[in-house]
Amino acid sequence: MQIPRWILALTVAVTACSPGVAETAANPVAGTSLPVASVSASEDAILRGGNARWSQVAAKKISLNRTPPLFDTDEPATLEIPTADVRLLRAGGKLYVQLSWDDATRDTATLPTVPGTPPEQRFRKVPTEADDRFFDAAAVMVPVHPGSPVNPSLQMGDPGHPVHIYYWNSARGAMLMEAAGRATTRRTGQSFPVDAAYQNRQWVVTFEMADQPAGTPLAFAIWNGSQQDRDGRKYFSVWYTVE
Amino acid sequence: MSRHQYAMVMDLNKCLGCQTCTIACKKLWTDRDGTGYIYWNNVETRPGLGYPRQWDRIGGGWKDGALQPSPLPTMDDYGHAWEYNYEQRLYEGSRQPVMPTPDPQSGVNWDEDVGALNGEDNYYFYLPRICNHCTYPACLEACPRKAIYKREEDGIVAIDQDRCQGYRYCIKACPYKKIYFNEVTGKSEKCIFCYPRLEKGEVNACAAQCPGRLRFVGILDDPESPVHKLVHLYRVALPLFPEKGTGPNVFYVPPFNPPKRGNYGQNILEDPRLPLDYLVYLFGEEVKDVIARLEADLKQAQEGGHSEVLQLLIGRDAETRYRVRPQLVQING
Repeated sequence: MQIPRWILALTVAVTACSPGVAETAANPVAGTSLPVASVSASEDAILRGGNARWSQVAAKKISLNRTPPLFDTDEPATLEIPTADVRLLRAGGKLYVQLSWDDATRDTATLPTVPGTPPEQRFRKVPTEADDRFFDAAAVMVPVHPGSPVNPSLQMGDPGHPVHIYYWNSARGAMLMEAAGRATTRRTGQSFPVDAAYQNRQWVVTFEMADQPAGTPLAFAIWNGSQQDRDGRKYFSVWYTVE
Repeated sequence: MSRHQYAMVMDLNKCLGCQTCTIACKKLWTDRDGTGYIYWNNVETRPGLGYPRQWDRIGGGWKDGALQPSPLPTMDDYGHAWEYNYEQRLYEGSRQPVMPTPDPQSGVNWDEDVGALNGEDNYYFYLPRICNHCTYPACLEACPRKAIYKREEDGIVAIDQDRCQGYRYCIKACPYKKIYFNEVTGKSEKCIFCYPRLEKGEVNACAAQCPGRLRFVGILDDPESPVHKLVHLYRVALPLFPEKGTGPNVFYVPPFNPPKRGNYGQNILEDPRLPLDYLVYLFGEEVKDVIARLEADLKQAQEGGHSEVLQLLIGRDAETRYRVRPQLVQING
């Protein structure tokens, strides 16, 4: 049987490029640093090649926190997703961030396609199928200027420390956003390559982003649709650092 | 607080329940993708479930300075759109009668003319509803995106569609459930009080089309406007559910009916056709004073006297009913 080239490449390339990588996926690394494995694989192989190439990359188990209720009359949300695993791969000048977490419910939908014809020229309009569903989502936040000695505010950065947010929504896709403080998040209109799969009650989402130098802080967020998560109602991590 | 405040008064004694306002609004504003269930203006029969059903009982608004919790209404509350199986009946040989699918369980104007019993007598009236363009909008406070704003020049509450991310906190916060989520655009939307028409000197579409001539439109702080007169001068128009704390700027002249069993020496308050408790539920205790004022004016008119308030409520022409003054509400005016 011929071994696929990407497995060979991955096997060779997943080397101890940082001390943390010496630890295995079964023994997550400690601290707030994120080890990076370097591989020479194509974007397609990394994003859509299945889990095999990622299983050899050390996972960092991160703790997730719930944001407090937005309004003081809201009940606090329960901590259904206490942790997530983060894996980083560097390849082809890109950084790939894989976020995986256990989620008992797959909260997503295939939204109806809007025809190209303007609605006024159509007898039938696309209906709103539901008004009360919220979709699973995840995001990686990265500073626009990663060399800063001060990390941006976790609340979407701050005026002196703007951030990019790589946001993926299970129903609406990937959107690159930018922000410089709470309530300033803005869609840039750009997307980015992403792969997402839900299997065995677990989401595995892989983001492709511009390569980030060592020392770059990354923060993560997860929205659980079944808990009506959206906006600041979510799970979030503290800042972690790319090794 | 806005510099001026557009307001509307609706005389419930004149509403025919014809839904012309609903259609005028829908054709103008919500005939788009995702808006099938969205009615910026609706007319519901009271007592009744309302649209979305039980909107008046599920929460929202203010209490002691805090936003009140509320669930999001679901499509079960709005009613799912249904289709008829014409093809099966007409072309595929089915002998079954044409039937809707899914089985209708709710919808806009679902319980039209059902009403309730007052003793052995049925009673009902129509309640047209738009956004109340509140003085203290709970929706605005609830929006973490700051996408909702109250226009300084005229007090109209609107949602910036560029800022809105469809979080729906506003829908939960609105005690009148007059904000709707459009899943196709992923954004929430609501009545805009036809501000593009007002800015051209045209009255709101719902008011312009109303065959019952029950809607009065003007600037609340304009002493010459009919809404100022009905709300502040004659004090015969009340907001809906004032205890929700949002300061609505849509007001209602309560249903003012003759006594239930004729004029046997009793007045309307002594022998009400509509249970006063229900009117108090809708408009607060002040509704009794309003009915007493209206009854006194009616009696005066029946005895050959003149009632300014009744003459105004007749609203014979557009000039009487509307006072739209774009020059007054210019931002720099």
